[in-house]
Amino acid sequence: MKLKEVDRTAMQAWSPAQNHPIYLATGTSAQQLDATFSTSASLEIFELDLSDPSLDMKSCATFSSSHRYHKLIWGPYKMDSKGDVSGVLIAGGENGNIILYDPSKIIAGDKDVVIAQNDKHTGPVRALDVNIFQTNLVASGANESEIYIWDLNNFATPMTPGAKTQPPEDISCIAWNRQVQHILASASPSGRATVWDLRKNEPIIKVSDHSNRMHCSGLAWHPDVATQMVLASEDDRLPVIQMWDLRFASSPLRVLENHARGILAIAWSMADPELLLSCGKDAKILCSNPNTGEVLYELPTNTQWCFDIQWCPRNPAVLSAASFDGRISVYSIMGGSTDGLRQKQVDKLSSSFGNLDPFGTGQPLPPLQIPQQTAQHSIVLPLKKPPKWIRRPVGASFSFGGKLVTFENVRMPSHQGAEQQQQQHHHVFISQVVTEKEFLSRSDQLQQAVQSQGFINYCQKKIDASQTEFEKNVWSFLKVNFEDDSRGKYLELLGYRKEDLGKKALKDSDQVAQSDGEASPAAEEQLLGEHVKEEKEESEFLPSSGGTFNISVSGDIDGLITQALLMGNFESAVDLCLHDNRMADAIILAIAGGQELLARTQKKYFAKSQSKITRLITAVVMKNWKEIVESCDLKNWREALAAVLTYAQPDEFSALCDLLGTRLENEGDSLLQTQACLCYICAGNVEKLVACWTKAQDGSHPLSLQDLIEKVVVLRKAVQLTQATDTSTVGVLLAAKMSQYANLLAAQGSIAAALAFLPDNTNQPNIMQLRDRLCRAQGEPMAEHESPKIPYEKQQLPKGRPGSVAGHHQMPRVQTQQYYPHGENPPPPGFLMHGNVNPNAANQLPTSPGHMHTQVPPYPQPQPFQPAQPYPFGTGGSAMYRPQQPVAPPTSNAYPNTPYISSASSYSGQSQLYAAQHQASSPTSSPATFPPPPSSGASFQHGGPGAPPSSSAYALPPGTTGTLPAASELPASQRTENQSIQDQAPVLEGPQNGWNDPPALNRVPKKKKMPENFMPPVPITSPIMNPLGDPQSQMLQQQPSVPVPLSSQSSFPQPHLPGGQPFHGIQQPLGQTGMPPSFSKPNIEGAPGAPIGNTFQHVQSLPTEKITKKPIPDEHLILKTTFEDLIQRCLSSATDPQTRRKLDDASKRLEFLYDKLREQTLSPTITSGLHNIARSIETRNYSEGLTMHTHIVSTSNFSETSAFMPVLKVVLTQANKLGV
Amino acid sequence: MVSVINTVDTSHEDMIHDAQMDYYGTRLATCSSDRSVKIFDVRNGGQILIADLRGHEGPVWQVAWAHPMYGNILASCSYDRKVIIWREENGTWEKSHEHAGHDSSVNSVCWAPHDYGLILACGSSDGAISLLTYTGEGQWEVKKINNAHTIGCNAVSWAPAVVPGSLIDQPSGQKPNYIKKFASGGCDNLIKLWKEEEDGQWKEEQKLEAHSDWVRDVAWAPSIGLPTSTIASCSQDGRVFIWTCDDASGNTWSPKLLHKFNDVVWHVSWSITANILAVSGGDNKVTLWKESVDGQWVCISDVNKGQGSMSASVTEGQQNEQ
Repeated sequence: MKLKEVDRTAMQAWSPAQNHPIYLATGTSAQQLDATFSTSASLEIFELDLSDPSLDMKSCATFSSSHRYHKLIWGPYKMDSKGDVSGVLIAGGENGNIILYDPSKIIAGDKDVVIAQNDKHTGPVRALDVNIFQTNLVASGANESEIYIWDLNNFATPMTPGAKTQPPEDISCIAWNRQVQHILASASPSGRATVWDLRKNEPIIKVSDHSNRMHCSGLAWHPDVATQMVLASEDDRLPVIQMWDLRFASSPLRVLENHARGILAIAWSMADPELLLSCGKDAKILCSNPNTGEVLYELPTNTQWCFDIQWCPRNPAVLSAASFDGRISVYSIMGGSTDGLRQKQVDKLSSSFGNLDPFGTGQPLPPLQIPQQTAQHSIVLPLKKPPKWIRRPVGASFSFGGKLVTFENVRMPSHQGAEQQQQQHHHVFISQVVTEKEFLSRSDQLQQAVQSQGFINYCQKKIDASQTEFEKNVWSFLKVNFEDDSRGKYLELLGYRKEDLGKKALKDSDQVAQSDGEASPAAEEQLLGEHVKEEKEESEFLPSSGGTFNISVSGDIDGLITQALLMGNFESAVDLCLHDNRMADAIILAIAGGQELLARTQKKYFAKSQSKITRLITAVVMKNWKEIVESCDLKNWREALAAVLTYAQPDEFSALCDLLGTRLENEGDSLLQTQACLCYICAGNVEKLVACWTKAQDGSHPLSLQDLIEKVVVLRKAVQLTQATDTSTVGVLLAAKMSQYANLLAAQGSIAAALAFLPDNTNQPNIMQLRDRLCRAQGEPMAEHESPKIPYEKQQLPKGRPGSVAGHHQMPRVQTQQYYPHGENPPPPGFLMHGNVNPNAANQLPTSPGHMHTQVPPYPQPQPFQPAQPYPFGTGGSAMYRPQQPVAPPTSNAYPNTPYISSASSYSGQSQLYAAQHQASSPTSSPATFPPPPSSGASFQHGGPGAPPSSSAYALPPGTTGTLPAASELPASQRTENQSIQDQAPVLEGPQNGWNDPPALNRVPKKKKMPENFMPPVPITSPIMNPLGDPQSQMLQQQPSVPVPLSSQSSFPQPHLPGGQPFHGIQQPLGQTGMPPSFSKPNIEGAPGAPIGNTFQHVQSLPTEKITKKPIPDEHLILKTTFEDLIQRCLSSATDPQTRRKLDDASKRLEFLYDKLREQTLSPTITSGLHNIARSIETRNYSEGLTMHTHIVSTSNFSETSAFMPVLKVVLTQANKLGV
Repeated sequence: MVSVINTVDTSHEDMIHDAQMDYYGTRLATCSSDRSVKIFDVRNGGQILIADLRGHEGPVWQVAWAHPMYGNILASCSYDRKVIIWREENGTWEKSHEHAGHDSSVNSVCWAPHDYGLILACGSSDGAISLLTYTGEGQWEVKKINNAHTIGCNAVSWAPAVVPGSLIDQPSGQKPNYIKKFASGGCDNLIKLWKEEEDGQWKEEQKLEAHSDWVRDVAWAPSIGLPTSTIASCSQDGRVFIWTCDDASGNTWSPKLLHKFNDVVWHVSWSITANILAVSGGDNKVTLWKESVDGQWVCISDVNKGQGSMSASVTEGQQNEQ
């Protein structure tokens, strides 16, 4: 393809390879007159600017010369690699002269551009070549067999390579060997070539075919093989290129007969020895492989001959050809379309012809457009054989999990014989790249700590290793979480020791200590330093009893008081005392006057009192800690925190710590801001800790992230332990950090660890995506054909096409409504869905009736659940800290509570596995890969009726969810489903500690301690402490028995359909409604950003179909009736909405059981156990039922029963409690 | 630090030109001058040939995996001027689409971020870049940027899907308003950044000039949530540049020389976390580079798996531990 052209009849020389940019020098040709017959001459330099798409070449300089040239070369002599224009331009003139020009001066416009000149030669100098090893050496050839070797460092006196050949002849070509620097070859029109050895200073071999027809116009050495060269013949009778090997110099090795007429010039590519250019009087420019003789390329040219042809040394695909029609053209041999260029030419033409675009359309007028036929030629194909320089020999690419894929191809000479060796080297290497060793080892330690529950040790180690005081504090605070009496320890950390204070107080006033014993035990036990002391001192003013006294009845104030007292008018008496500033009297009297009066009096007292510590006292007495926290001087944050630790009731404790932390964070200086972390640790507020920490630290470095994660993980553990409930739905920020952390681990190749740390937050697509990726990267076995399925599921599920499932699960739709209004982000097409779906699939699979039960769980995690948590959760502790928890359906985190961190991860891993293993046996579970069973085929087709799996909810835009047909059918209770899930989730976290160890046992003792840990100094009689008194805590108490899977499953009760149809959601908008069933399989159609809105509409408009279920076998029908009856009974007596909700939910979830009964997939032990339970229900012996329940759960396969047993337990427990 | 965990004998009969793992790192696709594309299952250090794909009539230069959400899809490009999209269906890999819209060797293929749909950018020696967008029902829409790089485009690389003006993915329910961009490098020594206009046309947004010879490869770094965009480029001139752009408009790019090698640098590849750059050069060396705290790029490792690869099977695992 032609790139550029210049209208010159000239010899040409490319700038050396080192030079950038690329220049082309042209010197007026001595042999050819151009059309103007002008005799003037010039030397010009053009720049090859490929970023300019036009055909024009940018002229950089023109130097009017007195010479015309036979040969022009550009040597890299004295060229630095900087790329400035340099080197030397060497010209062979008409009269035996060789002229050296300085190209940089030419470009600079200098007048004095000639470096040197010598006219030692006789006749025109037609042959010039620069030695590529010693660039100061230039060989020249002229008439009379003259060959000179010029040293540019000493230009005056050339050498000769040896005695002149006889008879004298013109030297038409000269070339230095490309491999051996002292070898030179020359050739003449007579057809003979001579090879010279400059060390011997004589010709060493003469090459000739003796045909007398080799009229040598070209000579070139093989770029790689030292002994090979080609000679080209200008003679029309022998238009050949001969390839010679000097070792067999009797005849040519090969003869290339591709030209029809004499060859005028040749050029051998230095970049690829298989490319030899030749141009001839047949007006062809050919590119052949001289090693085979094959013509690789014919340049499209006009009909003019070219007399000079040159490869561009720097750009291997570029060549230039000078033709007799007075043009130098620059071509690429890589082919391509010239449409763009032609258009430009046309534009140029039209502009030359004046305004042919009178309407300003920017288009040339039709007459000037290129005729049709040229369009055909506008496409120029590239070389037949790929040139060497585009064959990438080496590569290294990163892939997921810190893996690096590398390959290389050992370089070898292109000639034959190499193949053999080459074949051994076609390996690809996969390497693991680990760059963060410390990070990994620390992460490992953390994991070990989590696994072994050795948090105290871990924290202690961290404390010991702490570099800074702050770090030490943080770890100390964290450690306290795992110790008894955590509040007391916190106080100690803040510098308040009970013992110390006790001593001090005693010293100060032992008497007081006695007398006010009843006043405030807390004040004695856990004092607040000075303040409290003063408070006590105050109490000294209380009147002491003993002795007789007079009752004053005088008219003064005493008398008035007396009167008032005698009349029992406490109120007046108190007022009088206050008025007289007898505060102590007033208070004492007020105590006698009853609570109301006391409170009033206290208020008045505080209003009057101005002492420094009044506010503290006020707060202590009024139990108004918020006041302290809100308004204390931030420098006193320690004191405020201590006060909170001492006094705050558990239900407000976290909130107060939070508040203080927030203040510190917002208002404090940077030092105080970091201290906010301590408050958050006390509060157990992981999310805020993360936020605060992130603000203060540069979180991008792996180790600093590790720092954070260590704390977060430990704190979350602590929160689980101490608060027994899960307060920590994973917030957005924490989730982001955790996934960042998981990403880092993955990048270091620690896939399993990454999975363990990855939070289970279904609302964050990137996390779900990462989980899926990690699971698959772990290399779970999967059938080869199965693999496409999962991604599709991801895509499909969200679209909510439940297809094969009967319409009995409708609740998921409700979820939609719940999720969205709460700031849920409806997923963008594609990934969000993916993310959302994944947990689904993951959670569903293990519980799918009929698929999973035969499975031996490959992961140990189900084990912890099996005991089903026989221990009720510790008393009030769990409930007490609820203030932090969102009670309303949480926003984005509702479903994917952190608690599952690892469980979910392992689950999804597991599910993959399951999916794979179940392929064969349960095609319905993988509709994506297998043709759907006949019965469900139709529904696949139409996107299916029934309930979309909850994931569908995600995909639905908020506005439209309401129009779902199913929505209205939903019982009100379902609307709260979300919440009940949420309620369960936190609790579930307990057993599921994320690292798959059985935590129940070691945790329980902890929990039992809770109450004492939190015994507040001020007697609190609030019902919070009484778990039974609080509906919420009641619920929590029961919930522990519900294993995690239930909760997940509860929201996604679509066991049958992990895959398949939802894909339609995407397909449909693309107009594929009529596709044959096979198209429900994953295919690329789903892809490109199908508009969600449309998709959704489609979903809506799809016809719904139901699939009838098998009946429950008669012998088991009793189970259903019994359980349903029981739930009804409970419902009728339960008043608490939460309980009702749960019951509603339970009745739905028992469908799983009924399904299994229908399919008769339950093992006999389980069914008989269920019958036992049913019997115990009949007799209202629920505790016996519960015992049997526990027995079943502990003896049966987890996956088999997990779908329904937990709810059954809920029902039994409720029934027991309600006494129905 | 870099240890070979698996050596895959591809049995290719000629030079390998590319080797890419799929999204999960469990499958390896290779392509070769022997005109074939092969897919191996390489989980757990094994190597099982899944597919030997024939269909190209010339050396196959590059392969690219589509995101798995679209199924198992692999694109390959060849000197035969064709791009083939292969797809696995029912466990069998088959040619799904053939794009023959180029007039010269197609040197590079790259899938757009999955968020955009199934879009493939192809850079060719004919100087054009074509963009294939799957429109459903087996149809691909083709857009072509002619004369993107005179004499040829050697590499294309998509910018990560980042919504302008937000560092993190927008949590809103709307389909994010992505601005599609990619980078290309070519024989005009330029790196060009292309941006899709609102009318769906592709426009040259930026020219990055620093290389003095063919740009062999460009790699747009994955987004790691920072506002900075980063591109690595390598060239025939032996230089590797790291280009960064901090401003929101995306118009000011500044190059930093990572290193000047003594030979052609063929390929650059970012780690998934975008903090390590693997550079492979004509001297058959692979080096890993990381930016130090003070912003300098430091070579953290030579990956020297080449020598003694004959014994790789024996010493697998501990080989080349560095």
